[in-house]
Amino acid sequence: MADSGTRSSTVYHDAAKTLQGKITLDGVNVYYGPKQAIHDVSMVIPDRSVTAFIGPSGCGKSTILRTINRMNETIDIARTEGSIRIDGDEVNSKAVDPVILRARVGMVFQKPNPFPNSIYDNVAYGPRIHGLASGKRDLDAIVETSLKKAGLWDEVADRLDQPGTGLSGGQQQRLVIARAIAVSPEVILMDEPCSALDPIATAKIEELIDELRENYCIVIVTHSMAQAARVSQMTAFFHMGDLVEYGPTEDIFTNPHEPRTQDYITGRFG
Amino acid sequence: MNNRTDIQAAVEARLAKRYRAEGRFRMFGILAIMAAISVLILLIGSIASQSIPAFRVNELTLPVTLEAARVDPAGDGSEASLRRGSYNSLLQEALRAEFPEIEDRGQLRELFGLYTPLNSARLQNQVLANPGLVGQTIDFTFPISDDADLYLQGLTTASSEAAPGLVATPSGTSGEVRVFANSNVFSPIVADIRERLATQAEELEDRARRYENRAASAAGEEARISLTREAEQARTQSASLRSLAEPGSLSVDMSPELPSRLIRMNGGIVHIDRISDSGRTAEGRVLVALDNTEAGDDWTIWTLDTPQAERRITDAQIAWAETLRERGRVETGFNTYLFTNADSREPELAGVLGAVIGSALTMLVTMFLAVPIGVATAVYLEEFAPKNRLTGFIEVNINNLAAVPSIVFGLLGLAVFISLFGLPRSAPLVGGMVLALMTLPTVIISSRAALKAVPPSIREAALGVGASRLQTVVHHVLPLAAPGILTGSIIGLAQAMGETAPLLMIGMVAFVADAPSLSVGGLTEPATVMPVQIFLWSDGAERAFEPRTAAAILVLLALMIVFNAVAVFLRRRFERRW
Amino acid sequence: MPINALILLMMLVLISAAFYVGRSRALRSSGRGSVSLHSLPNYHGYFVALWTGVPALLLMAAMAVFGPSISESVIEMRLNQAAAPLAADLDAQLAGDSLIQSAQRTLDSSADVNAATQARAAIQSRRTAIADSIADTARESGASGLALAGFEYANLPPERRGLFINDARALAFNGQPSEITPAIEATASAFRPVDRIVRFGGAVLAILLAMAGLAWSRSRVKAGFRARNRVEAAFMGFLMFCSGIAILTTIGIVASLLFESLRFFEAINWRLDQFLFGTQWSPQTAIRAEQVGQTGAFGAVPLFAGTFMITIIAILVAGPIGLFAAIYLSEYAGKRTRKIVKPVMEILAGIPTVVYGFFALLTVGPAIRAAAQFVGFESAVTQSALSAGLVMGVMIIPFVSSLSDDVINAVPQTLRDGAYAMGATKSETVKQVILPAALPGIVGAFLLAVSRAVGETMIVVMAAGQGANLTANPLESVTTITVQIVMLLTGDQEFDSAKTLSAFALGLVLFIFTLALNVIALRVVQRYREKYE
Repeated sequence: MADSGTRSSTVYHDAAKTLQGKITLDGVNVYYGPKQAIHDVSMVIPDRSVTAFIGPSGCGKSTILRTINRMNETIDIARTEGSIRIDGDEVNSKAVDPVILRARVGMVFQKPNPFPNSIYDNVAYGPRIHGLASGKRDLDAIVETSLKKAGLWDEVADRLDQPGTGLSGGQQQRLVIARAIAVSPEVILMDEPCSALDPIATAKIEELIDELRENYCIVIVTHSMAQAARVSQMTAFFHMGDLVEYGPTEDIFTNPHEPRTQDYITGRFG
Repeated sequence: MNNRTDIQAAVEARLAKRYRAEGRFRMFGILAIMAAISVLILLIGSIASQSIPAFRVNELTLPVTLEAARVDPAGDGSEASLRRGSYNSLLQEALRAEFPEIEDRGQLRELFGLYTPLNSARLQNQVLANPGLVGQTIDFTFPISDDADLYLQGLTTASSEAAPGLVATPSGTSGEVRVFANSNVFSPIVADIRERLATQAEELEDRARRYENRAASAAGEEARISLTREAEQARTQSASLRSLAEPGSLSVDMSPELPSRLIRMNGGIVHIDRISDSGRTAEGRVLVALDNTEAGDDWTIWTLDTPQAERRITDAQIAWAETLRERGRVETGFNTYLFTNADSREPELAGVLGAVIGSALTMLVTMFLAVPIGVATAVYLEEFAPKNRLTGFIEVNINNLAAVPSIVFGLLGLAVFISLFGLPRSAPLVGGMVLALMTLPTVIISSRAALKAVPPSIREAALGVGASRLQTVVHHVLPLAAPGILTGSIIGLAQAMGETAPLLMIGMVAFVADAPSLSVGGLTEPATVMPVQIFLWSDGAERAFEPRTAAAILVLLALMIVFNAVAVFLRRRFERRW
Repeated sequence: MPINALILLMMLVLISAAFYVGRSRALRSSGRGSVSLHSLPNYHGYFVALWTGVPALLLMAAMAVFGPSISESVIEMRLNQAAAPLAADLDAQLAGDSLIQSAQRTLDSSADVNAATQARAAIQSRRTAIADSIADTARESGASGLALAGFEYANLPPERRGLFINDARALAFNGQPSEITPAIEATASAFRPVDRIVRFGGAVLAILLAMAGLAWSRSRVKAGFRARNRVEAAFMGFLMFCSGIAILTTIGIVASLLFESLRFFEAINWRLDQFLFGTQWSPQTAIRAEQVGQTGAFGAVPLFAGTFMITIIAILVAGPIGLFAAIYLSEYAGKRTRKIVKPVMEILAGIPTVVYGFFALLTVGPAIRAAAQFVGFESAVTQSALSAGLVMGVMIIPFVSSLSDDVINAVPQTLRDGAYAMGATKSETVKQVILPAALPGIVGAFLLAVSRAVGETMIVVMAAGQGANLTANPLESVTTITVQIVMLLTGDQEFDSAKTLSAFALGLVLFIFTLALNVIALRVVQRYREKYE
């Protein structure tokens, strides 16, 4: 899987081969109208680990993240080329239903975005629309497990019927994570999940991410290199729509091969 | 359900159903939009199609001899004398000259019903404008009456002509005549009449039976007697109808409740009043004189489907109007009266000019009040006002004024401008003031938006070089905001131009037969405006006002489209983005 | 008019002269160049021009508004003056007349109603006879026309005096008097000189004021004079005054509605309960006091019910169509569709309501009647609540759709993203996430649409009929608050009758109701906006 087509800016790393590959990007280009935002990105993202995308603002790290669950399609002018496979199933194809895809791939956004419903309804949303629960009791169980997995159960168990928007920022973000894992996805995409949170809430989320790694393939976009260093096993550095360097987090931070990576990490730009 | 393939299966199982719901939802959206747009098309389409007859008019052109003795009674050619001339009698004579055979007074009145005497005022004006015409014979063109016009446009009744192709002979050329045919050509008419009579008789019998039944079950003696009497009456009527319908009676009468039949022969027209039972002889009145009494087979029976009782134009008038058209005296043309005349009680002379001028005057007042005051308010609130309770109150006030029903502004105008200040009713001045108050919130809100859109950097730059705040606003901010202000103002004025209700309150519903003068003096003369004119005409009793109302609507819509197009043009031309 | 035009022209000349005077004086007083001036010379010019023009123009405006009433009161005074000897004569003769004395005694002593009425009539006719004979004698002895006119005027019942003066005014100035009598002619000819004096006086006063302003302000212009600040202060004053007009309008609306409503409530003996909860509406009151039967009933419930029914029908049409259109346009439609469809739908809002009324009257009404009769409702009429409601619904579609469009667009994109990322379809996102989030805003939009429908006039005037029926059948004709206001205030009317005043009470109800709806709606929408800002 990993050896299929090695291209110019492709950076495979041996570490990715030792871990089991989950997502394979192959020659991905993204355009916004006439403007090309992503240039020919190929990479293999391992399962049951955290992969961090870092890079300066506007480098395309969020864009590439959103190709994985085809969220770019919600923008009229966006167009994605190339192959994206999850467990070998092609994702970027008209024949694939984004609804099914998104049931497999959960996503957490920069700003916590709980729906204007109760906490319970927020978590139950996915199982309900996809018909995953066979009854009320089943649904209750899913909600409880998801909230427990997200580490929120103890804080909200007695007020499940209250609006999700009434929680604090960090709680909201964990609620959103609970909502995402309620449909048992294989992949969880996180787009700067802690950028709107204070340090304490951030620490809790990071802890949660580390726990979730056991069962999911997690891809996280982050601004904070410290965070990338703390939570991720693999790190990819993007610049101007190019994947500059990709490898185990330790290597990237201690021994970057590319001068641009070095400059960024040492704070010369970005 | 933690097994991933199970989840996949569950999701896929529901997918089709979910997409069906999706499709339905989407369809509702499309249907909603289609509904809105199709109503719009229906609205415009129905009004446009209703208006078509209003743009055409049938005009009579007759040679009128302007006898000096009657046009200029004093004989001095002065204006006062010319004003006293009896012009209508000249028109009557001109029309009568076309049908010299008409003697009967009643018939003459019918004939003169083909035009409105108001046309004599037009003839008078023509003579006043050119006194040299006195003594000459001129071709005077004037519109035929609205009912005749509708008939000539084919909107009153369906009519058909059939040529029997058999020989018939008239007994005379004018007055009461008989037409003898040498076979029973009129029998179908007789049969048709009998059939209708029989139907009527049956209905009466039905009614009689119902009364009898009710009488049988009636409680009081009195009620039973009266019901029985009713039943007897119905039976008698029915019997008489049946006897009429019975073959064997000598003749059958035509009645105004039946389709009319006329005979055209030898260059004239005969109205059938009675037909002999044999179907060989028709009796009737000559409407247009026959040339001779020769027998021939070149004649036709002319049927008017709508009975005379159900239309406003008589059989005789139809015959004459048709004859005038055949003689080339009536011609169809574009209805210029609609655009060059003010309102009139007679649809054929009614036009929108007065209302257009009234609208123009009213809009001028509105514009000169609403735009400066609105812009000044916006400038004050946006650029100078301190943020305190008072200005907050003004703002809330303006927002609420924008939602006050327009009719309430009319009540304000009535109570304050008319009763308290004693300003004249029905005047464009008051109308304009009321509409200005109504338009003010729109102008203020759009002007504020335009001022807000000017970036603060411009103000800072001007203040930075030492301009006062007022100079900054007048020299820099206002010119930049002008296109936006202008666009908003035009849209506000266009709205005001279509407004009716508040103007009803201040008496602009008066019937105004003269267009107000387009001057300062015209501001206090009674006037009406386009939408009110539409309202008045839509209430008009004459059917011919219906297409004219639709036509007036088209004129109003056209004016509003022009207004809005100017606004759109200004926005496109001067739009600036920062 | 020419006099006014002339004066206006003179004012313009004076004002522009004032500008140059101020400007040149400023230039001169500065000596070399304009260096030592506080303000630019032009500002000195503006300052002098303002002082010249504004007070004089204000005076002219005041004269234009109050001039007629001034000349009227002068005329009234002169009429009374001229008729004073005749009036005194009348009083003397009345006092000495035996017939009147005896009738007056009867009136004072008798408790019998019939006798009192007879006595009153006797006094009245005797009085008229005496007045006539005095007038005849005066005419024969060559009294002035004005004296006779004044005498006639004095003997008119108070409510007809205004008409008399109006007729005289109309006759004097090319208007159309309702009647022409010698007395009116005499008054009219007295009117002309008085009016001329008032006009000329006003004009001369205005010119004098302008000149005084010019002289005074010119004397203030000096090198150090802060002309710009003065001019700017004046300008600011103008701006503030303009802002005040919005408040004045509101005050005017509230005051006029309240004042006339109070008079109405007084006329119905403060039976507010009968007005608000009475079920019979027939505002025709007796024209003469002795007429029986027609006492007028002012129970507004049928009007409220009619308004309510038509509004409900309108919202049932506009609500779903407007909302679905807004959803489709903001969530489904491509850019190009939106660009075409939105303005087309907005056209519906721009069409004058009288056009909708015509459409309802001539197209929708007959169609509904035909359909109803086809189904078996023989009694269906053309002017029905249904046709008015349907057409009004069409009219408010754009309100609902554009307001809903705004609130839907205000729902943050992150919520949509959240739903899509969960694998929700578009309709699921709309139904389960966007609509609940936008609900307050949509409620606000509906309330605004309701307020619009309640206050709409022309469609219902033309298409809903006028009978004050209390019915739940939308195929019957009903009447609304606005229709009744129009009916009561158009056509023949006497301004002070309870019938006319009731229109203002209805207006007050309408105003309060729409205002309340609007305040609530704006507040709801505002709260909603703040939530997502």
